[in-house]
Amino acid sequence: MFGRYNCTFHREEGDILVETEQNGGLLTYRRRCEGKTFERLLVSKTGEFVINPVEPINLPSAITNFLLIEFSPMVIEPGGNQTVYLTFPVEIGVFLEAPKDIEVLDVFGPGTQKYTLYGPPTSGLIARWYRSAVSMEIPAVECFREGVMELSINNLSHEWVEVSRVVFDSTDMKIYYGDFVAAVATMRILSPTLAETDFIDAPLQPGMVKSVELHAARKIPVLNRGYLMEWGLS
Amino acid sequence: MTFNVTEILEIPTGIGSITVENLVYFFVIILIGWAVARFVAINVRRALAERLAKNERELFVKLVYYVIILWAFVVALPQLNVDLSGLLVAGGIAGLVIAFASQSVVSNLVSGLFLMFEHPIKIGDNVNVAGVTGSVEDVRVLSTIVKTYDGLYVRIPNEEVFTSNITNYVHNAARRFEYQIGIRYQDDANKAIRIAKEVIETHPFALKSPAPSVFVDTFGDNRVNLTAYIWAPARNWWDVRTDLLWKIKQAFEENGIEIPLPQRTVVFADGLEVKSRAATEKEE
Repeated sequence: MFGRYNCTFHREEGDILVETEQNGGLLTYRRRCEGKTFERLLVSKTGEFVINPVEPINLPSAITNFLLIEFSPMVIEPGGNQTVYLTFPVEIGVFLEAPKDIEVLDVFGPGTQKYTLYGPPTSGLIARWYRSAVSMEIPAVECFREGVMELSINNLSHEWVEVSRVVFDSTDMKIYYGDFVAAVATMRILSPTLAETDFIDAPLQPGMVKSVELHAARKIPVLNRGYLMEWGLS
Repeated sequence: MTFNVTEILEIPTGIGSITVENLVYFFVIILIGWAVARFVAINVRRALAERLAKNERELFVKLVYYVIILWAFVVALPQLNVDLSGLLVAGGIAGLVIAFASQSVVSNLVSGLFLMFEHPIKIGDNVNVAGVTGSVEDVRVLSTIVKTYDGLYVRIPNEEVFTSNITNYVHNAARRFEYQIGIRYQDDANKAIRIAKEVIETHPFALKSPAPSVFVDTFGDNRVNLTAYIWAPARNWWDVRTDLLWKIKQAFEENGIEIPLPQRTVVFADGLEVKSRAATEKEE
């Protein structure tokens, strides 16, 4: 389903249907995902459709930029580092591309969403919540439902640290797709309650294609600055 | 008939030695200043559209706009033969007079500046200020504009905003709301709590953490009262609140738990004797 399409196309994967239909001079874009439908009339002769996974913070409505992944607690020794594989929710973005512009047409995704508060109500932040298993190798995932995140955890502190959640600013998120959706991230633990997280702009496997990012399509300039987790790691 | 432009420009206006030329220059400079101010303000607003919060952006745009207008005015004043050094002395005296005459204006102005620095409210926030509840439309130098939930325009002087209690409903990331849900005495309260928690869990914006809490709160006359505390994003809490209650009620009904009707148990001190009409007639 992911890729570039010209004018009319029809793609169906399980519960997801995305298609366009020429109707006189108009183009009808139609999407169905788990019973929810979306339709738009388009006036386009040269526009291209781009369908790819996007930052998973838009459903059911975009209220935050942050993604919190919770997993089974891990205790990491001082100076220790480990690469683990987590999963994250997948949202699918449909973009309309012209030679000089790209616009977001639709964002959808299967499954349910849940949000949480990271930090105290007075100064914390709302984040998309997702529960993941911890794997030591790339787990098998449903391509349109879950993506794989390679997370390198590096404990720079001089103490044993328990970690059971990681928070990202998803505006930095670099998503790649191929046989599955993937992202590569790092977590640098500075103290038992403080860590820096960031995404790395690299494919998890050779040959993966980089996704068009939502904030780029929306022309929102962002600085790749990562996120400082200051409200605890577990 | 011919016009000599130079002669027309040199015609005195009758106000001191100001000529038509001076007046034209004055208005042209003001006009240019106004045009430049508008052009710069529009472009500054456009340039900062995605970089600054609306509140700070509008404040900065206004500041830039008025500084340019003021600059144009200062540049144009000599055309009217106004000596700016003389203005300083006159301004001092006039300032005193104006200060007394415009105490409330100054008070509002200073309060406005403090509000802008302290930031208790921002444009778009849902607030209760000086007894007015609604969303903040604008924070101006002298007043704050609130649009009530009925769609009314309310202008509150900044002095009043600054000195009154301000409740900002969206200042924090999340807020809590509660439900009181009554069930019958014969219903299983533990089952009701479990069902309510399951329904809350399915709502995306009923926050995972802080976790919702549902418990038996009080025993009422006709019902067991459950209380549910739910946290939601501050900007979405009302949608969550209106959405969830009916879903909980529906889930209760699907599981045989009912919202009770008022009822009263009547106890007769001497017991209750029921006689049929036939028995009464027979006795007679």
